[in-house]
Amino acid sequence: MSTLLTHIAISDGKIKRSSLEVLSRCQELANQNGHTSEAVIIDSNASDYMDEVQKYGASKIYLVEDPIFKNHINSPLLKALAKVMEASNPHVFAFASTEGTKDILGALAANQDAAVLSDVSEFDLIDGGISAKRPVMAAKILSSNEAKAEKILVSVRSGSYDLQENPTDAEVETIDFSFDESDLKLTLREIIGSSGDKIDLSEADTIVASGRGAKDEEGQKLVNELADLLNAGVGASRALTEAGIVDPSLQIGQTGKVVSPQLYFAIGISGAIQHVAGMANSKVIVAINKDPDAPIFEIADYGLVGDLYKILPPFIEELKKIKS
Amino acid sequence: MKFYVCIKQVPDVNAPIQIKEGELIQDTSRMILNAYDASAVEEALVLAEQHGGEVEVVSVGPSKVSETIRKALAMGADKAVHIQTSSDDEYDSATYADILAAYFKDKEYDVISCGKQSQDTDAGLAGSMLAEKLDLPYATNAVGLDIEDQKLVVKRQGDAGQEIIGLPTPCLVTCSNDMNDPRIPSLKGIMQSKKKPLETVELSELGIDESNLSSKTHVTGYQEKPEREAGKKYEGEPEEIAKQVAKLLDEEENVI
Repeated sequence: MSTLLTHIAISDGKIKRSSLEVLSRCQELANQNGHTSEAVIIDSNASDYMDEVQKYGASKIYLVEDPIFKNHINSPLLKALAKVMEASNPHVFAFASTEGTKDILGALAANQDAAVLSDVSEFDLIDGGISAKRPVMAAKILSSNEAKAEKILVSVRSGSYDLQENPTDAEVETIDFSFDESDLKLTLREIIGSSGDKIDLSEADTIVASGRGAKDEEGQKLVNELADLLNAGVGASRALTEAGIVDPSLQIGQTGKVVSPQLYFAIGISGAIQHVAGMANSKVIVAINKDPDAPIFEIADYGLVGDLYKILPPFIEELKKIKS
Repeated sequence: MKFYVCIKQVPDVNAPIQIKEGELIQDTSRMILNAYDASAVEEALVLAEQHGGEVEVVSVGPSKVSETIRKALAMGADKAVHIQTSSDDEYDSATYADILAAYFKDKEYDVISCGKQSQDTDAGLAGSMLAEKLDLPYATNAVGLDIEDQKLVVKRQGDAGQEIIGLPTPCLVTCSNDMNDPRIPSLKGIMQSKKKPLETVELSELGIDESNLSSKTHVTGYQEKPEREAGKKYEGEPEEIAKQVAKLLDEEENVI
């Protein structure tokens, strides 16, 4: 019997749904194979999130609480993760593939001499390790991978697994943690443009994304109106973030965020492979573009050919009617 | 300041890819400098121009990697190191990090940088692995870099917004390709690159026996992604098609 440990990511005072998806998957694998599923919360207020984690099943929850974890800083986080691994001794330590995870996964693997597979879209247990599939080459193809080692780290793309509630009465263990300022290898000076009041794209059910075709004020107004109506996250292609029209944190694609919503609107986006790499896993894709040969139409479920300035207003009107 | 930029030669992801019996068939004549690494080179060149310093690029791989190294030299890097391997087929991120750590062990530098990931595997692990192995402070996914009082100031994209990080030197940073447009080598740069020093280092000189290098992770095969089928295209009166699709999203897809 071995242990599958899941890292519960917290951002802006909320648990990232993607880490509960990973916990659901680990719980399922543990049940199928007679293993143990555990979870760890590392935060300035770690215990606040315990009840929600309990719903998704873990026989033990580790808490590491310290004010230093109010913001993401890699050196104390790595120290905390190493301590948790010592306490839990997991065979597999699974993470949601967030920016925070991407920042520490390689360093933790090196520190723990662990095998690591990042950004997988599915994973399973095999004899002595895990097998996993990863999108590679700008997500054009899938590679099958195996990792075999005493300790294995894996990070999982958001939307890869469904949430499965499985309430347990988990044992809670608080890990002693103190951080000497002199151990702080770097300093966080400032956080700009916290996404606190925005919808997190990597977790959103609906995303309205715009590209070059909607770059003027009128285009952005229509995009925002549609997003507000659907309570959707607003994203953009690289063309708009480079032009300084949209904040770089909202860029979707190979650089930028990888998203997997239920509904994705590509408005005035041609569909370059770098953009498609970030959104091709959306369940339903609606594209609006005046170029009937735009590559986005090759992957869109609903392709509206025409001028977005003429299509969006009646589209928004119709949605308003439906919603009322 | 002394900047080292670790660069990788990768297949062009825009080139046609074929899979035959689980093997990846690629046009190896289309090998390029990893776009994220190109941004790291550009950024090091700009910082060296602004604050003084020297830029050296390092690459691990078989002999064909030298073409990519020349490209970085043509962009303006001062010198280069090619750590030669006989094959790179079986290397995972940890193996690259091990080789680079062995190289940097007794080197002096202020900043080591690289791309935040490589375009072919998209793993994004080697940078922070190398930092850990060299016990360096590091920041990943930089979208802006500056130098202040011998410290690197990194603007990085995090989950909660952009974070401004102060990194004491020596340090390591991985770069996004959102931060700049890498310069295209000029004819003069290309001519000069041929005269710039390119040192080759054998793995044995780093105390590494290539036959002992074994990765903890392996690619066991490649598959086509299940293709998304192109759906229906709606052409005609904007008002009409807008209403039609809005209705379908509500009634057929149940996503409104």
